[in-house]
Amino acid sequence: MPAALTAATRRFGLLSIALVGAIVLAGCQSTQPEASGGDPVPGGTLTYASGDGEPTCLDPHVGGNYPQALLAGQFLESLVSRDETGEIIPWLAESWEVAGDGLAWEFTLREGVTFTDGTPLDAESVKVNVEHLKNPDTQSSTGYLALGKVETVEVVSDRVARFVLSTPDSALLESLSQPWVAIESPTGIARGMEENCQAPVGTGPFIVDEWVKQDHVTLVRNDDYTSPPADAAHEGPAYLEAIEWRFVPDSASRYAALQGGQVDVIDNPQPDTIAAAEGSDSLAWLDAPRPGASNRIELNGGQVPFDDERVREAFIRAVEVDDGIEALFFGTAERSFSPLSSVESLAYSDGSLFEPDPDRANALLDEAGWTERDADGTRMKDGTRLTLRFPVSTNQSIPAEQSLFEQVQATAKAAGFDVVIELLDLSSWYGALAAHEYEIVSAPYTKVGPDVLRILYHSDSIAPAPSGYFANLAQLADPAVDSLLEEAAATSDAAIRAELYEEAQRLILGGHHLLPLYDQQNSFLLSGDVQGARAIPTVSTPTFYDAWLAD
Amino acid sequence: MLRRTGLLLAGAVFVMWAVATLTFFAIRLIPGDPAQAILGGPGSQASQEALDQVRRDYGLDQPLIVQYLAMLGRLLTGDLGTSYALKVPVAELLGAQLGGTLLLAVLSLAVAWVLALALSLWSTGRSRIATVLGEWIELAAAALPHFWFAAVLIAVFSTALGWFPPVATGTPAGLVLPVVTLAVPLAGFLAQVMRESLLDAMQQPFVVSARARGEGALGIRLRHTIRHAALPGISLSGWALGWLLSGAVVVETIFAMPGLGRTLLQAVTLRDIPIVTGVVLLIALVYVVMTILTDAASRLADPRLRRQAAAR
Repeated sequence: MPAALTAATRRFGLLSIALVGAIVLAGCQSTQPEASGGDPVPGGTLTYASGDGEPTCLDPHVGGNYPQALLAGQFLESLVSRDETGEIIPWLAESWEVAGDGLAWEFTLREGVTFTDGTPLDAESVKVNVEHLKNPDTQSSTGYLALGKVETVEVVSDRVARFVLSTPDSALLESLSQPWVAIESPTGIARGMEENCQAPVGTGPFIVDEWVKQDHVTLVRNDDYTSPPADAAHEGPAYLEAIEWRFVPDSASRYAALQGGQVDVIDNPQPDTIAAAEGSDSLAWLDAPRPGASNRIELNGGQVPFDDERVREAFIRAVEVDDGIEALFFGTAERSFSPLSSVESLAYSDGSLFEPDPDRANALLDEAGWTERDADGTRMKDGTRLTLRFPVSTNQSIPAEQSLFEQVQATAKAAGFDVVIELLDLSSWYGALAAHEYEIVSAPYTKVGPDVLRILYHSDSIAPAPSGYFANLAQLADPAVDSLLEEAAATSDAAIRAELYEEAQRLILGGHHLLPLYDQQNSFLLSGDVQGARAIPTVSTPTFYDAWLAD
Repeated sequence: MLRRTGLLLAGAVFVMWAVATLTFFAIRLIPGDPAQAILGGPGSQASQEALDQVRRDYGLDQPLIVQYLAMLGRLLTGDLGTSYALKVPVAELLGAQLGGTLLLAVLSLAVAWVLALALSLWSTGRSRIATVLGEWIELAAAALPHFWFAAVLIAVFSTALGWFPPVATGTPAGLVLPVVTLAVPLAGFLAQVMRESLLDAMQQPFVVSARARGEGALGIRLRHTIRHAALPGISLSGWALGWLLSGAVVVETIFAMPGLGRTLLQAVTLRDIPIVTGVVLLIALVYVVMTILTDAASRLADPRLRRQAAAR
């Protein structure tokens, strides 16, 4: 049957030609010139591909994580927002006033705002939301913490809600700007958790229409929308008719879908794809570092060997990360020398503390008594090896960061540190931290405002939560730092607050408790057709209210 | 026959029990608190009251053996429990995801069969070159790791050629790359075993006599030897379907398809014990059912097995 044989070989031949052709094509793909600005065009559906985990509940009051915030930003709104300079600006509240003792804040709500189920926004709905967040049945974690100092909300009038505090809180406005304490329809909340998780009701520019688990959430335009934040580019309803929010866990697939035009926006691009997109005319990069803390390596000062400051400084002087950051992040991440994110206007940096100095590192270790070396070159003291356990969460550290940690390991080795990197899933990673099985660790923390310093470096945060979780992973217990952070949290004077936070950061950095790396990376890649999208300068989630599709 | 069926059923029940037990204890060996899984995942800052209440509500404050027996009791009544993270009945959730994964697995199995049969029929009993080439193709295909093969397919057929989408959105075009990803390595396995039996069959006297009657090469293959090639393929198909379900974890993640594989992956990460148990039991059930079915199918395809059974 030679005919069949020939046909078969021909087919294989064609296939291999197709493959070779495809690979050649992949190498020299042409790109479309970027669409110019022009006037916004209404209509169209924007497809968003998210690599963040699919929320288990769309109501950000429940639990409260970043994937929830990403979605909630499209359909829920907060009392206040923050502009690019870090200034708090009106949103659902048009003005606010604090009483002299700092224990009562009165928020005046915008007039004529209704939730998308028709319920009017009034002071009573704000009260219901705060009660919802504080109710243990809601199982709120992030929002609950944000409202830690809020005792009750009193309805002063239809449009005025009074927050009564247990102690003065200079971070209240920043806390209230976060999507985890966004205001939902009381009627929606009253439906019960199951229904509210499926489709929370807010005042936002879009409405949750459908949630097909593991696949997508469809958001449709709110045609009666009236309440954009003060820094929005336009008024009235959004331009886009709908947003299709897809869950695409694999980063290569997300980027391929963006390149192929199947989706318009992707989040969590890897550094190499950001660099590639930067070189392309048809894609745009939205760089939106998260607020709160920078990404940093914390040194556990609560146990040997980092209970000795000399050893902490030796580690920081021994490791070399600049070249690694440059190479592994393809120039997309800027080196940080601050405990705070660069988006925080009160961030204080001091690069001189972090200049690598191997000689000083060795001298400090000798001085601290780590003088012997074993066969591997690891330093020893009284028979104990200078081992640093480094649990790394594969959910939180992208491959580039994991590689960077290997460089930390390699450079620290020269000074005699034995860094043991352990790649763990999120549950195991939290388990290792709760059991204090770490000497160094990198743990991101997102929160609006410098009050994150209190969460991360106040000695109260060493005490574990019931779950075993504690935020002060450096186990920094310095009464001077504590009192600076407490004063800063309570003062109502902006200038004094800035001074106190600067002094606190000086002490924290000066004590060699952490090695700042870069801002918490948070990037979005947009197809050239997407115009007018931006990140809200609160927790840097994207908003598509001002966005439109140019064709 | 009755005795045989009874034994099969007892074996099936035993397998399901063993799987449920192993899963129950294995998932508790990895760190992670189910109460936290319920309260928003690992690292949640849930209050003590919330944790206590959840432990009471879900019976997590009971001794492990009590929890285990309670789970067995529920399973006996067909109740798979409620997802910790999603707060929906597991049965409902799996029901919604089963269809997509089964479609993916069955399509992949079908395509793998076609590819394997075509390859083995084409390459067996021909020139030395065809045989060697066939062997190489089988070996290469069987060795393809899913995640790598999927990435190559996306690079070529999505990014470069734009023929198929990299994200499966429920359209037939979206299914092509996932099915090919799963089918090609499986075809490699199947073709290997098929060709061996085929080669064996080609040397049988009945082939010589068929040839003597004037049958062409194609006729011999289609009318006579294909059954022999199919036999090991059939008995492998039960194993293959289970193998495809585990491959679905990778493929569903890469192509962003809803399905059991992705559900399982997410549930393990979140320590969502009811879902993990449910998915594992379901996959075990598919294995068991497929083993019984392939057993029956082998009897249909091979009269010798039927005769043995009748003699028994």
